Amino acid sequence: MAFIAPFGNYLAGKSLLYRLDARFKLLLLVSYLTGLFLVQSWLGLLCFGMLLLAAYLSAGIPLKLALRGLMPLVIILIFTMLANAFGFVSDTNQTLGFVSLIGDFGFKPWGALRGLYLALRIILLFCASSLLTYTSSLVALADALVSLLRPLAVFGVPTEDIAMVFSIALRFIFLTANEAERIMIAQQARGAVFDKGGPVKRAKAWLPVLIPLFVKLFRRADHLAAAMETRCYQGKGRTHRRFNRIQPLALLTSLAAAGAFVTIGVLL
Amino acid sequence: MLSFSHVDYSYPDAASPALADVSLDILPGRYVVLLGANGSGKTTLARLANGLLLPDSGQVCVEGLNTATPETLRALRQSVGLVSQDPDEQIVSTTVIDEVAFGPENLGLQQSEIMARVEQSLTAVNLSDFAERDPNTLSGGQKQRLVLAGILAMQPQYLVLDEPTSMLDQSAQHDFIATISELCREGHGVLHITHDLKIAAAADSVVVLADGHLVFNGSPSELLARETDLVNWKLKFPVDKPAVSPSRCTISTPVSNSSHTTLQLRDVHFSYPSFSDRPITVLKGITLSLEAGSYTLISGISGAGKSTLLRLAAGLLKPGQGEIGFFSEQQSGQAANQQKPTPVNPGQVGLVFQHPEDQLFAATVAEDILFGPLNLGLISAGVREKASGTDQSQKLVAEMLAAVGLDASTFGGRSPFTLSGGQMRKVAIAGILAMQPRWLLFDEPTAGLDAVGQAFVHRLIADQLATGAAVLVVSHSIDEFQDRVDRHYQLSDGHLQLYSNDCLKADPERCQQPEGDS
Repeated sequence: MAFIAPFGNYLAGKSLLYRLDARFKLLLLVSYLTGLFLVQSWLGLLCFGMLLLAAYLSAGIPLKLALRGLMPLVIILIFTMLANAFGFVSDTNQTLGFVSLIGDFGFKPWGALRGLYLALRIILLFCASSLLTYTSSLVALADALVSLLRPLAVFGVPTEDIAMVFSIALRFIFLTANEAERIMIAQQARGAVFDKGGPVKRAKAWLPVLIPLFVKLFRRADHLAAAMETRCYQGKGRTHRRFNRIQPLALLTSLAAAGAFVTIGVLL
Repeated sequence: MLSFSHVDYSYPDAASPALADVSLDILPGRYVVLLGANGSGKTTLARLANGLLLPDSGQVCVEGLNTATPETLRALRQSVGLVSQDPDEQIVSTTVIDEVAFGPENLGLQQSEIMARVEQSLTAVNLSDFAERDPNTLSGGQKQRLVLAGILAMQPQYLVLDEPTSMLDQSAQHDFIATISELCREGHGVLHITHDLKIAAAADSVVVLADGHLVFNGSPSELLARETDLVNWKLKFPVDKPAVSPSRCTISTPVSNSSHTTLQLRDVHFSYPSFSDRPITVLKGITLSLEAGSYTLISGISGAGKSTLLRLAAGLLKPGQGEIGFFSEQQSGQAANQQKPTPVNPGQVGLVFQHPEDQLFAATVAEDILFGPLNLGLISAGVREKASGTDQSQKLVAEMLAAVGLDASTFGGRSPFTLSGGQMRKVAIAGILAMQPRWLLFDEPTAGLDAVGQAFVHRLIADQLATGAAVLVVSHSIDEFQDRVDRHYQLSDGHLQLYSNDCLKADPERCQQPEGDS
């Protein structure tokens, strides 16, 4: 059923950013965001905007996709702008162009500019993070995180198990949502109503969905465990099809880019 | 050689053993089909094959390694690959390539070796072009081939397949079995477990499991010659009684006054919203009329939109365009096309979902059956309430359980979760019938059922038709239904068209292809 989009944003592709080791991509994202927050000028913001635009173009991800992803943020963005654009003049020393609405309270042009700056920064932050998820499958990201966590294994942290739990959760969120929807419709066909009555009644109305859902999940868990055992999963001694070797050129380029991001951030 | 010798196995608390004294050998390059009805011990045998279960007595050995020896279990599991029924319960990764790499990664292989095995396995199951895809975006048939690829990457000598095709449509079944036959020619020993007699034809040899005992071991032709035994082993059901024969179209028994009302879909279009650019259009102008006492079959490949059509007809989805509802015949004389339909309310049209047993939830069978009638206000009190009207409820429960062949005094007070799969399905169907719908829609009602279960479904449908109810079945098992129904439509590319029998007889393969695919 096509009700729910596959979890995650990954769009299959073959360009350079796709092929880059996900650990380096994480490094690039972290340094990009660090630079973005260090930057203090419009010129710096423009620099980071152009860098991101170039990255999107080279990855071949349509920009409108990234912008559509921003929709849920619209309220935050609007709030950021409004909260900065309106306020009490006495909060700052600046008074240039202040338009009073009620006494000290009114529109502050310099605040509006600052709001715009902050909003743009949020947009860049969001789009940069999205680019990572567009170009890396969730499994690749999970593997990258685990790889970065790996040193902790020395202290007895079960990093392999964490990775597996992460991957299975990612897969089953989608399946479980579909399952829940299916059972919900089946109960609706038996006259169940989910959106009427008080909170207690509503909560009780979900029991006919939740009970079969859990029964099914437990059964699934049993079968999944069998399937994993069949393929010799032990939670240790695994190798990975990725990450066995760090490509020196990719590492150097990524380190250089990461350094550049932070430098721009400090200078501009 | 994969060999079972004198294997016994009992589940804790079970009254009778799941397997008793089973001996069976599978040689490399041989295609062995194991047949058995639901509950005959098939899955238990599959799980014993690679040490997921250990026999109570007797032994299971693979190339000399015993499943009971913990030290060699890992080597043994590489040798015996197990594929089971539902691909969604076997896939652990979120990309195809990672899924296939999962096994080799567990073996601790080098990266180059992992990738070589992944490529080889994906080629063997014809999924090379899907390497970067999310398994959730694959069809059922593709998912099951992905599971197979994941097993092949372990480079097993033997494949144990537990009902691997029971959730696939006919063309996907053909593809899967063709792949298996090819693997067999390459030297894999295959044990294909199923309840579907048709699959046995392609086997080198067939064994039959009945109530945990191995009752037959021979060639497919020898097996098919044993009519009576096949019926006893619940692999085949005796030819239907006259009541269900096609002549039932002439039923003239007067039915309720609703007989002049038809449930109709008129030029119905439907699209699902999509997170990509365009919405996914499933139905493009469906017109269908269900009269009282009529029996209609809609077939089509998985994903053709059959289930969507049922949800629309039951009033659970609203069409993007077109009308759905009840039209009454009296007024249809003058201007049938202008007439506005009466909308469908929940309960008026009974929808029996695929695997309806998944919707059971109540503490007792009786309460579950009464869930629908209580929601709709058909009865005033449940069975446990100390109010008037309880008698009416109890009577309804007894009637409905009788309709599905279960005894109310035995089953009414039991928890549905203590029942067998087949009994659960019966209770779920009773819960739909309890709303007394005059239109009954069934989504793949015989999926996963053995011959006895299938016969039950056909009987139930015949009973409902005899009372004047209209029945619509959607299924990809064309053979099973087409001789029983009044009308057979095929749904492909969003359109309904009358299914042509001549075409089926001339070339059954091509009939199952979606339009424009050939």
